[in-house]
Amino acid sequence: MRLRMSSTLLAVGLTLSSAAAAEGVRSASMLANTCAGCHSTHGASAGEQMPTIGGMDNGYLYDVLRDYKTGVRGSTIMGRIMRGYTDREIHAIAAYFAAQPWVSTDRVAVATDLHIARDIHARQCETCHEDGGREQEDKSPRLAGQWAGYLEYALEACREIGHRCRPRKMGERVMELSDAEIAALARFYESEK
Amino acid sequence: MTDLGRRAFLKTSALAASAALLTSPARRVHAAPKARVVVVGGGFGGAIAAKYLQMADPEIRVTLVEKEPVFRSCPMSNEVLSGDRSLDALTFDFRGLTRRGIAIMQDEITEIDAEQHFVRGSSGNRYNYDKLILSPGVSFRWDAIEGLTEEVAERFPHAWKAGPQTLKLRQQLEAMDDGGVFIISAPPNPFRCPPGPYERAAQVAHYFKQHKPKSKIIILDAKDAFSKQGLFQAGWKQHYGDMIEWVSGAAGGIVEAIDPKTGALIGTVEDFHGNVVSPIPPQRAGALAVSAGLTDASGWCPVDQKTFASTLHPDIHVIGDSCIAGVMPKSGYSANSQGKVCAAAIAAEIAGQAAPEPSYVNTCYSLITPDHGISVAGVYDLEDGQIVGIEGAGGLSPMDADARTRAIEARFAHDWFRNITADMFG
Repeated sequence: MRLRMSSTLLAVGLTLSSAAAAEGVRSASMLANTCAGCHSTHGASAGEQMPTIGGMDNGYLYDVLRDYKTGVRGSTIMGRIMRGYTDREIHAIAAYFAAQPWVSTDRVAVATDLHIARDIHARQCETCHEDGGREQEDKSPRLAGQWAGYLEYALEACREIGHRCRPRKMGERVMELSDAEIAALARFYESEK
Repeated sequence: MTDLGRRAFLKTSALAASAALLTSPARRVHAAPKARVVVVGGGFGGAIAAKYLQMADPEIRVTLVEKEPVFRSCPMSNEVLSGDRSLDALTFDFRGLTRRGIAIMQDEITEIDAEQHFVRGSSGNRYNYDKLILSPGVSFRWDAIEGLTEEVAERFPHAWKAGPQTLKLRQQLEAMDDGGVFIISAPPNPFRCPPGPYERAAQVAHYFKQHKPKSKIIILDAKDAFSKQGLFQAGWKQHYGDMIEWVSGAAGGIVEAIDPKTGALIGTVEDFHGNVVSPIPPQRAGALAVSAGLTDASGWCPVDQKTFASTLHPDIHVIGDSCIAGVMPKSGYSANSQGKVCAAAIAAEIAGQAAPEPSYVNTCYSLITPDHGISVAGVYDLEDGQIVGIEGAGGLSPMDADARTRAIEARFAHDWFRNITADMFG
């Protein structure tokens, strides 16, 4: 884990310094600051459907942003925005947000159905989203402390496209979930900090 | 560290600092603070410029001067007209910026001395600066429509600056009988918030549909086309049938005068009589920018679009609605984006570096009902000194989106507001 962290930081350091040096190149912070109008300062979202992106896994962020650009991942507005950036710029934006500290929502658990979610998490999600969704291995995003509004939206979107939801293993599992289970899972992860 | 130790340390630091002064001729005698930047206007542009400048270099002394004790957002103020939002929910204070080390001064700047590098407030206070950032919004052209003065607008509210005018318009709509006519006159380009008049029509229609379903809304437009036109017209029809009528400039929508007694709007073809009348005046740069001579013949402020430095006074930067920023619309998001580019350019100049290559974005949501949102986005860069849209990026919500997508965009509209205000004041 420590090794992963330092390689991320190293990548960001390189991106920032090389960008600052090169003529005509837009720096990572210059690019990333434009995102804060919707995702707030340093990507620590103020809610509720807008996800917190600061502190997320670099590889995951890059894949998602690239997939918005190509249309592989559906969206209302992110596709329109990401088409304005080159691949190099998308790498820079992802690395910038990955280097920011993760800030969990301040929401506390209020739901009574958290045990349903805990059970689903243990059986279906834990292998990739370890430690209550805190761990970010193999490009799996952090879930713990994310906004429930966003998690619910993302899970519903995944369920809607079913087998085409990536990774496929996740699509197959999410397809089986009811509205109530999705809502419970979203609140469960939100309450984990 | 013991007291003695700390004193010794401070003494050493002071010696080191004076040594630096002697060896570095570029440093000024009053080397601390590194530089003084005064920002005038605590809205979408100014609050962001102050915060991002302070984050870029905490050694710069940033002072934000705002004439109001709090900030009231124009975006989402149409929801006050529909009754879905209170004025309080548009109101923000500056405590978050104070906590970041920015000095907040409540004062109205009345004088700019570009030669001596200071501004003066109506309080009598003088604020010296190395760099000045103005984000003064818009002012109204009271000479453009005959009879429409600031005083007349007290009775026929434009509500184009959120606050008492917004509440007044809401009260008039509440007092109107069912079957009444509400008239909005929309100004010519360019003006603050291009989709605003058309969202206002939708928000008021949302209120009428529930409480005064026989009422009508007429938009008299100085223009023949408007922002998100197809999406608005389809949305109006879908939710409100024929309640909203849009009269283009060519079809007689241009308002030449207002009868100050009755509020009758005198058009080029015919006159229009409404029970509630909201004439939105034609606009130009904020009053301070106009009086300081920072505008050109267009009434707006020409700037170097890479740094937002005025082309008329290089140590004064103008951001937000007042400036001419290529193809960027006059929106809150544009001002946010410009504030960050301006802050980065000033921080670089103070550090003796070249202005960084800029990147700008605009995102703007409008609500047709609480569950029907539409948006426009733009991603921009600088080409030959002009801000241009990046080809293939940005654009409108699709015309054929389903109800679920419209509902998601409506939720995003509210989240956008949460987040952009957190970016400003958090």
